[in-house]
Amino acid sequence: MKKFITLSLLFISAIGYSQSTTTNQNTYKKRVLETAEVDIISSFYTQDGDNASVTGGIGTEELKDIATNFVVSIPLNDDDVFTVDATISAYTSASSSNLDPFDVSSASSDNDDDDRSSFVDYKNLAANVASPWVESSGASKADVWTSLNLSYSHSSDDRNTILGANASFAKEYDYSSIGIGGSLTKLFNEKNTEIGLKANVYLDNWSPVYPTELDSYLDDNQNLNDGYFEGLDILDQNGNTIDKNGVNVWSPFKNSLVDNNSRNTYSVSFSLSQILSKKSQISLFFDLVQQNGWLANPMQRVYFSDRDNYYIGNASSISNYTSPTNTDVFQLADDIERLPDSRFKIPVGFRFNQYINEVVTLRTYYRYYYDDWGIQSSTAEIELPIKISDTFTLYPSFRHYTQTAADYFAPFEQHISTEEFYTSDYDLSEFNSNQIGFGFSYTDIFTKRKIWKLGLKSIDVKFNSYKRNTGLKANIISAGFKFVMD
Amino acid sequence: MIKKISLLLLSICSLTSCVVVKEYEKIYLNDPDMLLSSKKSNKFETSFQVYREAASGANGGKSGGGCGCN
Repeated sequence: MKKFITLSLLFISAIGYSQSTTTNQNTYKKRVLETAEVDIISSFYTQDGDNASVTGGIGTEELKDIATNFVVSIPLNDDDVFTVDATISAYTSASSSNLDPFDVSSASSDNDDDDRSSFVDYKNLAANVASPWVESSGASKADVWTSLNLSYSHSSDDRNTILGANASFAKEYDYSSIGIGGSLTKLFNEKNTEIGLKANVYLDNWSPVYPTELDSYLDDNQNLNDGYFEGLDILDQNGNTIDKNGVNVWSPFKNSLVDNNSRNTYSVSFSLSQILSKKSQISLFFDLVQQNGWLANPMQRVYFSDRDNYYIGNASSISNYTSPTNTDVFQLADDIERLPDSRFKIPVGFRFNQYINEVVTLRTYYRYYYDDWGIQSSTAEIELPIKISDTFTLYPSFRHYTQTAADYFAPFEQHISTEEFYTSDYDLSEFNSNQIGFGFSYTDIFTKRKIWKLGLKSIDVKFNSYKRNTGLKANIISAGFKFVMD
Repeated sequence: MIKKISLLLLSICSLTSCVVVKEYEKIYLNDPDMLLSSKKSNKFETSFQVYREAASGANGGKSGGGCGCN
């Protein structure tokens, strides 16, 4: 901790070291924001892979997401700007649908994963098609995430000090968040140097939903002849139907699930930007992030190698369980993932931009990341904007990312039950990824095209293709429109 | 790692005295593509990376919280 305090002091000392500048207070004061601006950004995202975390590290990761973001910035006066930032994101996920892999009912629109009795015909469950590789039609296959962020900034008369505050709210079916934050930015050296300090607190809350077999077993007083399991055959590794009243029966590893619904995040961010020459500038970012609470995802199954395996479905498919050709047998979970209730993260990054000539600009970014779960990562990104006319610019880009695995990660059926923490979430595994992007922007500084009182200032369109060496592939296309009020 | 960060910070701080570019000389620096931040239209690209990767932050934006992601 002393090292961090020392670092912070070192950073703040840059303020004193920077050259001071006398500012003429009588000069014309330009408005911080001349007129109201509206940004609309929409995206369509798809992904697929074979390491779904909901089904313990194997299974389809197919997911589609459509999102739209509205940002309205309003100048309150010469110095103050109020911004409303609202986002809605709707997804369908084959992986999440397997929270209840046996739900083939279309009557799940009540959006309640726990209320099985209203729509599931338990007697016919064994005939249903269920596997980590087959999408279920349950309520958990889709969700909507909404967020609202309100922010306010005040700039001093000399524009060398900017104070900001923000409040945010976010909600999805099983997760909600309230956040507040503040920021201070100081400019020095005739605005050649900028130092920023930002702090945020997010008070998040789980409304946990669990893999159906675990939830139902605990709800029905651990009775395999009642509720969800009533009339349902459970198979052992050899495909034999077990005696539910016998000794060797399936049961969850633990009889308690999430015992702390909160998940809080505290972050402090430092930034330093410096003009290096008339054509180059650099900025450094340094964050300290502390998270506490339930940091695991209660939807994600884990299977232990030292516990017997039990299944529901077609006995002849058990030997083929991990293959994508398995479409009709599902393994009952040993537990949900368990992770420490604390995580400390230190990301450090910098951007360097170079104006090469009237046509080409170089934009680069690098980030090193460390956390106390054993993850270290590096991110390197390069973008080369190419102006092909006064109004059109092309944006080719490349991004490489690599990370080490969390101490608590192991693939499907490779954890042992004596471990304190365990996850088979491949987002916490060792991997590297490459992302290739291409986009274009159209800019009309005179805003000749109008919609109502809004003049179209720019359009940005970008496509990115992302490939991970674990097999995950993703594509995203985004379109952004910027309007200014007449 | 702390030493590396300190070294980087010191290096950056030392740059603050090397040159002062006047306002009227900032025509190239004021080009929209020279912005020292991620473009607004990259919002959802950054968002999916935060979900699919363990690392986040140090990009001038959000560094955690607000979603059930990593």
